[in-house]
Amino acid sequence: MSAPTTPRGLDLGPAPGVPVEALPLDAEAASHRSGHFDVVVVGAGHAGCEAAHAAARMGLSVALLSVQIGDTAKMSCNPAIGGVAKGHMVRELDAMGGLMGRITDSAGIQFKVLNRGRGPAVWSPRAQCDKRAYSAVMLDVLVATPGLSFVAGTAERVLIAADGSAEGLELSDGRRLMARAIVITPGTFLDGVMHVGERRVPGGRIGEHAALALSRCLGDLGLERGRLKTGTPPRLHKGSIDYAACTEAPGDEPPRPFSHWTERLELDQVLCWTTHTNAATHAVIQNNIARSPLYSGGIQGVGPRYCPSLEDKVVKFPERTSHHLFLEPEGREVDEIYVNGVSTSMPEDVQLEFLRTIVGLERCEMMRPGYAVEYDFVLPHQLDHTLQVKHVPGLWLAGQICGTSGYEEAAAQGFIAGVNAARRVRREAAFVLRRDEAYIGVLVDDLVTREHREPYRMFTSAAEHRLLLRADNADERLAEKGHAIGLLSDEQLERVRARYAAIEAEESRLSRVSVRPAGETGRSGLTARDWLARPEGSYAGLASLQAAPELAEAEGEALEVRIKYRGYIERQARTAARAAAAESMALPEALWSGDLRGVSHEGAEKLRRWRPASLAQAGRIAGVSPSDVAVLMVLARRSEQPASAGARHSRA
Amino acid sequence: MPLPSLDDTIAAIATAPGAAGLAVVRVSGAEALAFADRVFEGAPLVSALGHTLHHGWAKWPAPGAEGLRLDEVVAAVFRAPRSYTREDVVEFSCHGGSVPARRVLDALLTAGARLAGPGEFTLRAFLHGRLDLAQAEAVADVIHAESARASELALSQLAGELSRRLRAIDDRLRDALAETEARVDFAEDVGGVEVPPHVRAEIAALAEELEAMLAGSAFARAVREGVHVPIVGLPNVGKSSLFNALLGESRAIVTAVPGTTRDRVSEAIELHGVRVTLSDTAGVRETDDVVESEGVERAIGTLAGAACVVWVVDGSQPLSKADRSLGERLARARVVVALNKADLPSVTPRSAIEALIPDAVDVIEVSATRAGGVEALRARLAETVGGDPHAALGAAVANARHAEALTRTAGALRRAGAVAADGAPGEIVALELREALAACGEVTGEGLGEDMLDRIFGRFCIGK
Repeated sequence: MSAPTTPRGLDLGPAPGVPVEALPLDAEAASHRSGHFDVVVVGAGHAGCEAAHAAARMGLSVALLSVQIGDTAKMSCNPAIGGVAKGHMVRELDAMGGLMGRITDSAGIQFKVLNRGRGPAVWSPRAQCDKRAYSAVMLDVLVATPGLSFVAGTAERVLIAADGSAEGLELSDGRRLMARAIVITPGTFLDGVMHVGERRVPGGRIGEHAALALSRCLGDLGLERGRLKTGTPPRLHKGSIDYAACTEAPGDEPPRPFSHWTERLELDQVLCWTTHTNAATHAVIQNNIARSPLYSGGIQGVGPRYCPSLEDKVVKFPERTSHHLFLEPEGREVDEIYVNGVSTSMPEDVQLEFLRTIVGLERCEMMRPGYAVEYDFVLPHQLDHTLQVKHVPGLWLAGQICGTSGYEEAAAQGFIAGVNAARRVRREAAFVLRRDEAYIGVLVDDLVTREHREPYRMFTSAAEHRLLLRADNADERLAEKGHAIGLLSDEQLERVRARYAAIEAEESRLSRVSVRPAGETGRSGLTARDWLARPEGSYAGLASLQAAPELAEAEGEALEVRIKYRGYIERQARTAARAAAAESMALPEALWSGDLRGVSHEGAEKLRRWRPASLAQAGRIAGVSPSDVAVLMVLARRSEQPASAGARHSRA
Repeated sequence: MPLPSLDDTIAAIATAPGAAGLAVVRVSGAEALAFADRVFEGAPLVSALGHTLHHGWAKWPAPGAEGLRLDEVVAAVFRAPRSYTREDVVEFSCHGGSVPARRVLDALLTAGARLAGPGEFTLRAFLHGRLDLAQAEAVADVIHAESARASELALSQLAGELSRRLRAIDDRLRDALAETEARVDFAEDVGGVEVPPHVRAEIAALAEELEAMLAGSAFARAVREGVHVPIVGLPNVGKSSLFNALLGESRAIVTAVPGTTRDRVSEAIELHGVRVTLSDTAGVRETDDVVESEGVERAIGTLAGAACVVWVVDGSQPLSKADRSLGERLARARVVVALNKADLPSVTPRSAIEALIPDAVDVIEVSATRAGGVEALRARLAETVGGDPHAALGAAVANARHAEALTRTAGALRRAGAVAADGAPGEIVALELREALAACGEVTGEGLGEDMLDRIFGRFCIGK
C-alpha cells in the first residue's frame, strides 16, 4: 500500500466511481446516442435511476442522460442508506417495485434496525453500503432493463413545443433527445459552488463541473429559484486510524434485508467504529472560526439544521464538550473512511489539525477534505403533486433540485416523477400517494404545499398519521399500488397477500390459545393475543408460555405491533379517513384566476401562489384559515357549473 | 387545520348576541334530534313531526346532573330536507340574554354536538342545495362576516390575563411536544428515555392549569356543581319564614337533599339555571334557650364551602350584642343581608348594617310574611352565586368556543400523561400532545407549523 498523502487541492482526481473500462455497456455508443424516446431522464443519481427504471419497466423507451456513466447512483456523501423515516421511504419504494432497497441489499456491508427498543413507528432499517458496489449493481440492473438506454452528455436546454409543453432536450454538443416527458434530476450541480475554507470552486461534487447552462434554461422557463447549501465531512485513509482506541460499532446479527424481495444478503458484514471530539478539537475550531466560510460570510445558501457542520455544533452548543463521531468504511476495497459527524467547510489545514486532536485519529491522513456546496433549487410550489412543473406540461423535477437532501428523498421523488412521466405518455391518470398512505406522499405534499427554509429531510414527525406508516407494513400499504401501475409482478403481489393472510391467521389462532404467564394464578381465560397486547407481551415470548410462535421473526413483529397498538392505529385510521375525504374534494384551477370573494386577504394571496388542487391541500397552506376553506367549498361548488340558471333568480 | 366536516352534528347560538326577548340555539345534523332529546325535558323530539313546536325545559345531560333544569324553552323541530340546512334541525327558543342560550348550547355540546364554525349552517344549506348557485357569493359573504366577528371575539383581541396565560400554556405545550418529538426522531442524538420525567411533570402541570382555568370561573363551577347558601341569624329574626318564602317563590324545586326533606331544613332551588342549596341553619332555629355564643358558633360552622351566606336581621328590633357578634364573625364571608320585617316600623336602618359589615354584597329589605323584597333577594343571590357570567369568565374562559376547545386540550393532556406513565412509546404520547396542541390552537389561532423543528434544533444538538 502506498503511503497516503494529504491533498493540497480539490483537483486530486475523482472519488471512486465505476471506471470506464469496467462499464457494462458501450460507452462510445452512449456518447453518440440521440433521437426519439418516450421519456428522457437527465442525471443518473438516486432520483434519475429510479425515474428511468420505473418508466422503462412500465414499457416505455427511456434515455438516461449522464455526464459520467461511471458515477451512476453515486453516494456523494455518507456511505449508508436508510435511517429513521428515510428507511421507511426505501421500504415503500421497494414495496412498489422501486430499486433502492434491492440495490442496498446487494451492496450492504452492515445492516441495522434502528430504535428497536422504542415505539414501532420509528423502527427503521439502515445499511452501510460499499459505495462502488452500489454504483456497479445499479448500473447492472439498469443496463439489463429493457427499453432503457444510457446517453453520455451534458444537458444544455429544454426544448419547448408551440403549445408550451416540453418536447425534448438539447445537449451541449448539439445532439437532441426528443420526448414527450422530460425528468430533470441534476442534484447539486445547478450552478454549484464548492467551498473549502477560503477556496471556492465551481462544481456540484468534488472533481466535477457545475451545470450552468441548465440552470439558466430553467430561469428562462420562468421558474423561481433559491439557493441552498449542504456539506460533507473529510475522508480518512483507513490505514491511518488507531482502531484499538475507538469503540467498535457492529451491525445486527443476523442482518435483516431491506427489501421485501431479498432472500439472503450476499456481502460479508463489516465493523464501524465510534470516537468523539474533545476540548482540544473545539479549541482548534474556535481559534479558526473566522476562516470558515459559514462564519466569514462566504456561504450565503441555507444549510440543513439537522446536519450541522462541526463549527456550527461547537459555536451553537458551547456547553457540549464532546460530540460523537462514526468512522464508516466507504467500501470493502477502497481506502476511504467516512467520518460521520464532522461535516465542515474549514480550510484543509484546519480540518487536519482538529481531526488529529481526536482519540484514534492522532495520526490520521486525510484523503479528501470536507467541503460545503451551494447550489440552485427550484421553489417547489411551482410543481404539482406528480412533481411536474405546473406551467410546463411534460417537464418533471426530482431530487435536490426540489429543495430536498438525502438519497432516499431523491429516490422517492425520482420514482414518483418517473411513474407519472410514463403515465402521461400513456395518457393515464396521475399517480399520487396520499399523506396517510406513505411517507413518499408526505414528502411530495410537503414539498409542493409548504414553504421551505432549508433542505427538506424526512422526519417521522412530518407524518401526522405516522402510526399507520410503519416500515413493517410498507408492502401491505403499497404493493397493490405497485402492481396496479405495472411495477410489481402478479407473483410478488401474491406473496404480499399470503404474508398478511398468514399474519391474520396467526392472530386468529392466538385468540383461541389460552396462556398463563408465570406468577399469575386464578382463573384462566387469558388468550395469547390478550397477553401480546400487554406491555410485557412479545411474540417471541410466546414460546415460554407454551404457545409456540408459528410466524417468522419479521412477521411476528408485525403481528405484535398490530395487536399492541391496535387502538391507536384504528384512531389514526379514522382521522386519516376524514382527511382523505377532504383530499378528494377537488378545487378547479380556474378558481385562482377568479374573484376569491369572502376569502381573507392573506388566504387569497397564499392560494394564488400555491394553487392547491384539493380542499385538504388548501387547508394545509399556512395563512389559509378554516373559514377560508369553508368559503372555498362554496366557490368551488359555484365554479362547477356557471351560475346562469341561478343568475336569473338573483335579485341583483 | 380543521376542515369543515359535513357528516357530523353541529350546534350554535343562532341569534345575535346582546339583550333580546328570545335567543335561539340551533342544532343541525343526522343526530340533531337525538342530541336535542338528551337536553330536553318534554315530549320526545325523535318521534316528533317536522314543523312542530314543543314546550318544555332544557336540562343538563351529564350523568349526576340529570334533572338540572337550565331554562324553560320551546323546541322547534324541522325534519330533513325541510329545514334551513336540509338536515334534521332543532331550534331551542330560550329566554333572552346570553346566559340561558349559552347554557343550552353547553348542554348540546356535552350531549355530543360539535360547535358550528362561522357560517357553517349557511354553508351546509348551500352545499345541500337549499341556496342556489346565484347565492354562492352571499353565502361566502356570510361566512366571511361571521368569521370576522368571531375573530374579533378571539383571543388576540382579548386584553390581558387570559390571553397572556393561554399563550404561555401554548408555548409550554409546544416545548413538551418538541421534547417528545426530539426523542422520537432523533433518538441517537438526544438519547435517554422517550418521555423523561421533567416532560411528564410538565404535561401534568399544563393539564392542571387548564382545568383550574376552566373551573376557575364561579359561573362554570356553579352550573356544573351547584352551590350552597346557608341562611343564618339569631332566633326569631324570621329565618324560617324567609327560607320558605324563597322556596315558595322559586319556579322550580329541583331536588331534595336526602334525609332532610321532611323538616325542610335544607332544600335545593334553581336560580337562573344554577342549583342553589339553601339551608336554614338547623339548631339555631330550634334551640331558643341556647347560650348565644354557642348559636353563633353553629352558624359560623355552616359557612365552610358556602358560595355566600344570607344573614337575616330583624329590622324592627335594635341590633343586639349577639347580632353584632355574629355580624363581626361574618364580615369576612360574602354576605347578603336580609333586613327582615320591613313591614314593621324600622328600628335598625340599612346604614347600621352597612357600618357593621362594610363589605356586604348588599343589604336588602324584605318582608318574609308579605313576600315583599324576596324577589329582589332572589335576584341578588342569583347574581352572587352565579356571578355576571362575562365578568366572572373574563378571568377564565368566557367564550363557548374557547371553553370547548380548552376542555378538549386538557383532556388530551390528561391522556398524554396517562399513557406516558404507562410507558407508552414517544409517538403515542406525541399523538395525544398533538391533539392537545391542535385544540389549543383553535383558541390561539396558531398552527403546528415548522415551529416544532425550530424548537428541537434550538434545544438539542441534532445531526452527526
